[in-house]
Amino acid sequence: MAYVALIPLLPALAFAVLAPLSRAVRNRMRWVGVAGVAGSLALSFAAFAAVWPGGDEGEATYRASASIASVGGVDLALGILLDPVSAVMLIVITVVAVCVQVYSLDYMRHEERIGWYYAVLSLFTAAMLALVLADNFLMLYMSWEVMGLCSYLLIGFWHEREEPRKASQKAFLTTRVGDVGFAIGLAVMYATTGSFAFDVVLGSAAGWAPGVATAVALLLLFGAMGKSAQVPLHVWLPDAMAGPTPASALIHAATMVAAGVYLVARALPIFEASGIALTVTMVIGATTALVGGLLALVQFDLKKVLAYSTISQLGYMFVAIGAGGAVAGMFHLVTHAFFKSLLFLGAGVIIHALHTQDMREMGGLGRRMPWTAATFGAGALALAGIAPFSGFWSKDEILYAVWKGHHYVVFALALAAAFVTAFYVARLWFRVFMGAPRTLAAFAGHADTDHGDEDHGGHDGGHDESAADRRGETRWPMVLLGVITAGIGFSAPFFSEFLGHAGHWPDPMIASVSMGVALAGLGAGWWVYGRRAGAVDTEAIKARFRPAYSALDAKIYFDAAYERLAIRPFIRVTESLAVFDRIVVDGVVNGAAVLWRTATDLSWGFDRRVIDGVVNGTARLSRSAGVALRRLQSGRVQTYQRYVLGALVLLMLLIVVKGA
Amino acid sequence: MLPLLTMIVFLPLLGAVVTALLPKSRPDLPRQVALGVTLADLALVAILVARFDVSGGFQFMERASWVPEAGIQYLMAVDGISLPLLFLSALLMPIAVIASWKIDDRPAFYFAMLQLLAVGMNGVFVALDFVLFYVFWELVLVPMYFMIALWGGPRREYAAIKFFLYTLFGSVFMLVGILALYLHPAGGTFDMIALADSGLPAGFQWWVFAAFFLGFAVKVPVFPFHTWLPDAHVEAPTAGSVLLAGILLKMGTYGFVRVSLPILPEASASWAPFVALLGVISIVYGAAVAFAQTDLKKLVAYSSVSHMGFVMLGIAAGTAEGLNGAVAIMFAHGVITGMLFLLVGMVYERTRTRTIAEVSGLSKQAPVAAGMLAFASFASLGLPGLAGFPGEFLSLVGAWRSELIAPGYVIVAAIGVLLAAAYMLWMVQRVVLGTQSGTVEGITDLTRVEIAILVPLVVITIGMGVYWSSLLRYVDPAVGALLASMGAM
Amino acid sequence: MIEVGPAAFMGLAAVLFTLGLYGAVARKSAVMVLMSLELMAVSVNLNVVALSRFVTPTEMTGQVFAIFTMVVSAAEIGLGLALVLAIYRQTRSIELTTMDSLKG
Repeated sequence: MAYVALIPLLPALAFAVLAPLSRAVRNRMRWVGVAGVAGSLALSFAAFAAVWPGGDEGEATYRASASIASVGGVDLALGILLDPVSAVMLIVITVVAVCVQVYSLDYMRHEERIGWYYAVLSLFTAAMLALVLADNFLMLYMSWEVMGLCSYLLIGFWHEREEPRKASQKAFLTTRVGDVGFAIGLAVMYATTGSFAFDVVLGSAAGWAPGVATAVALLLLFGAMGKSAQVPLHVWLPDAMAGPTPASALIHAATMVAAGVYLVARALPIFEASGIALTVTMVIGATTALVGGLLALVQFDLKKVLAYSTISQLGYMFVAIGAGGAVAGMFHLVTHAFFKSLLFLGAGVIIHALHTQDMREMGGLGRRMPWTAATFGAGALALAGIAPFSGFWSKDEILYAVWKGHHYVVFALALAAAFVTAFYVARLWFRVFMGAPRTLAAFAGHADTDHGDEDHGGHDGGHDESAADRRGETRWPMVLLGVITAGIGFSAPFFSEFLGHAGHWPDPMIASVSMGVALAGLGAGWWVYGRRAGAVDTEAIKARFRPAYSALDAKIYFDAAYERLAIRPFIRVTESLAVFDRIVVDGVVNGAAVLWRTATDLSWGFDRRVIDGVVNGTARLSRSAGVALRRLQSGRVQTYQRYVLGALVLLMLLIVVKGA
Repeated sequence: MLPLLTMIVFLPLLGAVVTALLPKSRPDLPRQVALGVTLADLALVAILVARFDVSGGFQFMERASWVPEAGIQYLMAVDGISLPLLFLSALLMPIAVIASWKIDDRPAFYFAMLQLLAVGMNGVFVALDFVLFYVFWELVLVPMYFMIALWGGPRREYAAIKFFLYTLFGSVFMLVGILALYLHPAGGTFDMIALADSGLPAGFQWWVFAAFFLGFAVKVPVFPFHTWLPDAHVEAPTAGSVLLAGILLKMGTYGFVRVSLPILPEASASWAPFVALLGVISIVYGAAVAFAQTDLKKLVAYSSVSHMGFVMLGIAAGTAEGLNGAVAIMFAHGVITGMLFLLVGMVYERTRTRTIAEVSGLSKQAPVAAGMLAFASFASLGLPGLAGFPGEFLSLVGAWRSELIAPGYVIVAAIGVLLAAAYMLWMVQRVVLGTQSGTVEGITDLTRVEIAILVPLVVITIGMGVYWSSLLRYVDPAVGALLASMGAM
Repeated sequence: MIEVGPAAFMGLAAVLFTLGLYGAVARKSAVMVLMSLELMAVSVNLNVVALSRFVTPTEMTGQVFAIFTMVVSAAEIGLGLALVLAIYRQTRSIELTTMDSLKG
């Protein structure tokens, strides 16, 4: 079973091989990345088979650990824990990663730095795999941060342009805000239990003081909110769409953003020990699900619609965990990973074909790009929650868990989010695939042929000349993901059993409600966007829902608020601190120096004027006496005679007077 | 058995004398001699590390009477706390020599000073007699003063004098502390090991701690004693900056660990909240001010203030995690900041500017330099898997665990981690990424020699970041022994 | 015949001395100063001889003393004129105002 360690190590090795090479060599060696992930995929299936038929969460099929440090008698280790949850995650990650890497072979082939792209993608995959295999929170945190780095590097892949550059920084810093909470949570956890290991920490969580459990749970949740883009830390994810689309598919849709959900699911005993933390998780999740869905309604950028939808769906997962349906949450994580990466890959094809991400410039692609439309359609229906596509099953389980937990308000919120989701899916579908082509590119496509790409490095990788499906490297991953999306839902009961919970088929009542809501959403979307063949009058919609629409258009003011309340004040503070440092702190030092100089000047003056003055004064006195007396000695004989004469007269007068 | 420590400390002195006496007609000789000497010194330290017994306490001890009338000894030894720092010093020296390869103004004097600096730095980390310690401590000032004042930037005289006087100001208080320990009836010796078991009264300790604190805090430097640092860094030549940040700052924090904690344990505990407070202020303040800097070197200098704040926090915690973390940051910061200063120097050599706004888009023209700079920045902001992380993480965890430090401090310090990411990314964003600026136009990428001096640092950064024990296996037993001796008081 | 008493001699001597004193102090020419000095010496001699004749007529002390004085002043005036000549050769001037090289 030691091969389990190889699962994250193979992609890591691919990175280690690729990173130090020169750009030209690296670009030719991109197969190393694909090979690494493919190896991981094979080993993951082996590991999954070993875990089969599953069992309780945390019940390890294999564990191994290597100490990286011993501090104060406590071993800190990098350890592997293979249990049903991690086995499922391994499959999800490696399947999506392989699909994305194969897809990128074609999609990114004109990129000047494709080798680097593959290196970072491999490092990311390694970190994500290490994260799900980790047997302790420290290793989880370390992989977590490395993923953050990879996300930063990939969002900013086209860093010559300002938008990706800013987006990458925003993503890193926003998630790091969450990580501060995570890190403090780890410190509290360590102070409480003296360990980071899952079995020690989670095993003892039930016995912690409720305050401690709540604190740790909320701090971990804060970290998860950053990574999984939950309100109010969701602002980075839509901007992260500035990165290459396949990377968005892997990182910002399928895997990394789900790491927060995974963390909360893993740390569930702590949340359960707290109780309040579960409620907070659920409320944040429900808010996010609705807010994300609403924001997706007003986006015209195809990728941003998908990004907000990701935020919304991640909110669903939090709701599930908060409502006590961790398995449902995990299942939604799995289904979402497949259908959302599928949607992103489809979006990539469309963007490449049309040179634009603006849905207003698309239309009528259904006929031109049948493969893309078919696979994208499967993903869209899954997202909307239409049976039998996978999203329906997992969403149903979540709603069931919420209903059973008697969280009726959250249930209503979740249904509202489901309606909104179906609505924006319909909006997207009708704008992109239906109706008449709105641009020449959308019109001129001919299906299923390979086209040479000319320009690159521009908008989103190279562009094809026309709207057409891509060649095999692009198509087959999408087909594979489409098949999974269509079929995986039926595994719902078995999935629960695999994770050691009682499995069940959808509850008819809940299922019909959720289907009804989803169909209603699609229908409403059709009513607005699909009923008439021509272009939709956006302005009319905007005018009709003025206040709500402008609030949504401004991203409900989150970004503006951060800009105004956090970033700009921070920059102002740093600037004034820098001035403070130069003028006050350094001023004190320089002032002390000046003071000292003045003091020395003064004492030097005293020394010169008073002490030395006495000495010099004597000298000067004799000198000035000399100067004065010198005048008497004119050197002229007659002058001397006059003196003599004068003296004589004086003497005589004296004698005369005295004598008298 | 050879007197290994004496050889390590005084080999550069020999080198300095030889270098100074070299004929002026051969200006290339001094650097070659210096490189040979520092490499030999590194080899000696490598032997020392290889022979070091991780659980053996003070080792390679050399004890001889020096001034018997005053009980002054020639006493040297290393333990797991000083060994990493000694290694760091020996490692950075050849790198500093190579980074100074192009110095052509009075090369003999320059390289003699560089080696003299090594004498002082190595000596501080191995001396266990206060007089010897003080001598080495002050010895460091002189060559560094000359390096800044003679080979520095435009405001070098101001910076050099400020550096010299400020640190001298601090060390005078340290001297007072040393004398107080010597004159106190319970002390009466300059032997640090003996003083650690002397059981000084707590009230007396409080005052001695204050004196030592001033001496060490200026050197660290802790807010508000830090303003000499940016000036010294900006004006110093690259090698000077590397050694200043890499080694000289560590002398201050090393002093806390080596002197204040074992000899003044009660005072350390009662001063801990104050020390932690200053540490936390340094973290956040240094980070915030770094964010506003326009000069690359100043940015790195203020980031040093921030990182050294983490060291102070870990020391104040007085827990195993905190102290391990403190030593880990000392080592990691030396490596990472060394890398950053080397890179800033290399970029400056090419673009003739250090103003952040004037350099951008480095990655296109000089991908290796840009990659290295980005790597060092990420290491500096504490990315897990690189050397900056273990120390910061452990000192945060240790501080949280400590009973001496309020949790609020730790939360603020953790926000400092976020700020570190902010100023480092902001720098990377402007300098490494983006469109090329005119200054970057046509510059060459790093040469093989430049890459060669960076690679060891890169390897150490990754190695230590992944396998913490590569450093901590030396540190942890020594920290354990230190805590045990403090607890026994 | 008019009685010529010592007062007349002393008066004459006083007039001569005063003239000499004035000349010695006020004249610019070194020769004139020397002559004035001689005039004062003559007036002193006159007094000495006159007082000797009137106070101690039997003894010749005064006359002998006057002879001595005249010899000394002759030698003195010779030396003085020699110096003046020497200075004149050096400076082409015998004005006393120019002879101040001993000034302090």
